[in-house]
Amino acid sequence: MADNNSHQPGQARAKGPTVADTLTADRVAPPQALLDNRYDFLGDDIIACSRYTSREFFDREMRDVWSKTWQWACREEHVQDVGDTYVYDIGPYSVIVVRSAEDTIQAFLNSCTHRRTRILAGEGTGYSAGFTCPFHGWSWHLDGSVDNIPGAWDFPHVGADTHGLESVGCERWGGFVFINLDPTAKPLADYMDVMPEHFAQFPLDRRKVTLHVQKILPANWKSAQEAFMEAYHNFETHNAPNGANAQYDIFGKFVSRFIHNIGNYSPEALADYPGDKWRAPPLTENEVLETLSIHGLEHDEVPPGETARAVAAADLRKLLGEKWGVDLAAVSDSIMLDSIEYHLFPNMFFFPGITIPMVYRFRPNGEDVDTAIFDLMILEPLADGASHPAPPDPVRVEIEESYTEVPGLGWLGAVYDEDTSNLLQQQQGMKSSPNGGVTLGNYQEARIRRVHLTLDEFLRES
Amino acid sequence: MEEKQYTWVAALCDLPQGDIQCVEFDDREVLICHTAEGVFAVDNLCSHAEARLSDGRLKGLKIFCPLHGGSFDVRDGSALTRPAMTALASYPVRVEGDDILLAASD
Repeated sequence: MADNNSHQPGQARAKGPTVADTLTADRVAPPQALLDNRYDFLGDDIIACSRYTSREFFDREMRDVWSKTWQWACREEHVQDVGDTYVYDIGPYSVIVVRSAEDTIQAFLNSCTHRRTRILAGEGTGYSAGFTCPFHGWSWHLDGSVDNIPGAWDFPHVGADTHGLESVGCERWGGFVFINLDPTAKPLADYMDVMPEHFAQFPLDRRKVTLHVQKILPANWKSAQEAFMEAYHNFETHNAPNGANAQYDIFGKFVSRFIHNIGNYSPEALADYPGDKWRAPPLTENEVLETLSIHGLEHDEVPPGETARAVAAADLRKLLGEKWGVDLAAVSDSIMLDSIEYHLFPNMFFFPGITIPMVYRFRPNGEDVDTAIFDLMILEPLADGASHPAPPDPVRVEIEESYTEVPGLGWLGAVYDEDTSNLLQQQQGMKSSPNGGVTLGNYQEARIRRVHLTLDEFLRES
Repeated sequence: MEEKQYTWVAALCDLPQGDIQCVEFDDREVLICHTAEGVFAVDNLCSHAEARLSDGRLKGLKIFCPLHGGSFDVRDGSALTRPAMTALASYPVRVEGDDILLAASD
């Protein structure tokens, strides 16, 4: 505490080596993007619980945020062929993404321009040679133009120029298809800050979806995503030693990042954590390597003069490179091992890592304030020259079910159970304190504050 | 119990995995679907508006109708997404060498 008080707010850091220290000491050096470190103190005001629990706030978010922000709806490979569709639902809104021509992906409101029936039912992939409303049979071509209106004699006031499907903003980046319901929205690139530049060094379009898990979480969408925005919880929630000295970056209003080293940790960073666990004595390099054995490493001991981190990264380059038919020889230790998480406002997370290769999306569950939909995708590198396979359908996990029951999730199942295990109690606790608020760490939880500040800008603009 | 009578309807070599084919069987149009989990057969006319599912698209274990985008599980014909609400008839399939054989729907 004394140390913290001697710094300007937000300037204090955990003791021990920084992430940058670790990365610069790595055997295979990181790309420059990972050495980029930006943080500004964003304030330390309490965040009102009502932002997570009130219907009024939720409705404002729906009107002023979800209908005005870019969100990825699907991957390009979900709509590989002409006529392939993907329905994306957000709150009361529903959008059809369609490959309308070989090189064209478009998005339309999923709402008949006659009497507003949803044209396609149910989120997810589909196929349609054209669109036909199931109510009266009005139909449109894949590009949204009117095809046929049965009984057109009764609709002299309806024309191709007035009743085409309503277009929705649609752009592509990193193999994802983004939509924006706001016809006046600025281009996606205006919201991405450093992401295009950084991800040019680890492109996500050359990845394939190997698993998609969709689970309802018992909390407001913001608390659900905030459970994944810091590594401060690792000690208590995951019973894990690393995370106390993670690096947090705020790149702008819309993009933030953490880098959380795997395969090493700082015992000094745990100085004021309870007990002596992992601190006195600290883990040996062999014991650290043991924590990485979940990946099936070749080594079970660290050779003299080596580090667990370097050994694990080298083993995984070989193992996963051969398994996937991908050349990982030049991939840095950090990209191989670390949990590197970029957040794009309002609700998207992208991981450029190799062993931590996830994408997350959190959104309200329909119009329920108290539950959220968590989409988790695993994106493995795609072999050189290979084309994208069709992505698997989402594995849907009910609110009370465990991630450990998801085939293919492996060791991550237990981790996600831990990550989501506090959410119900947190949502309940917020409701128990309607006039109370959330207190955030100045550094480790700054990404959460950044989202709230940007959220406020959208609410104010309206 | 009387054993089912199976009838030859198509050659497996003409139906690569991921493909569909419409055949005549029992005076009906039947759609043969070669999926990663095997070969399945369901009625070819959508139970909603009778569009031909053979003009639609097989994705995994689902067949999508080209008209309204309704979908069915090809394993048992069950309707998965609106506006399709009524299951398609499904047919027992046997694959013997290169022969795809069908029996009458249960």
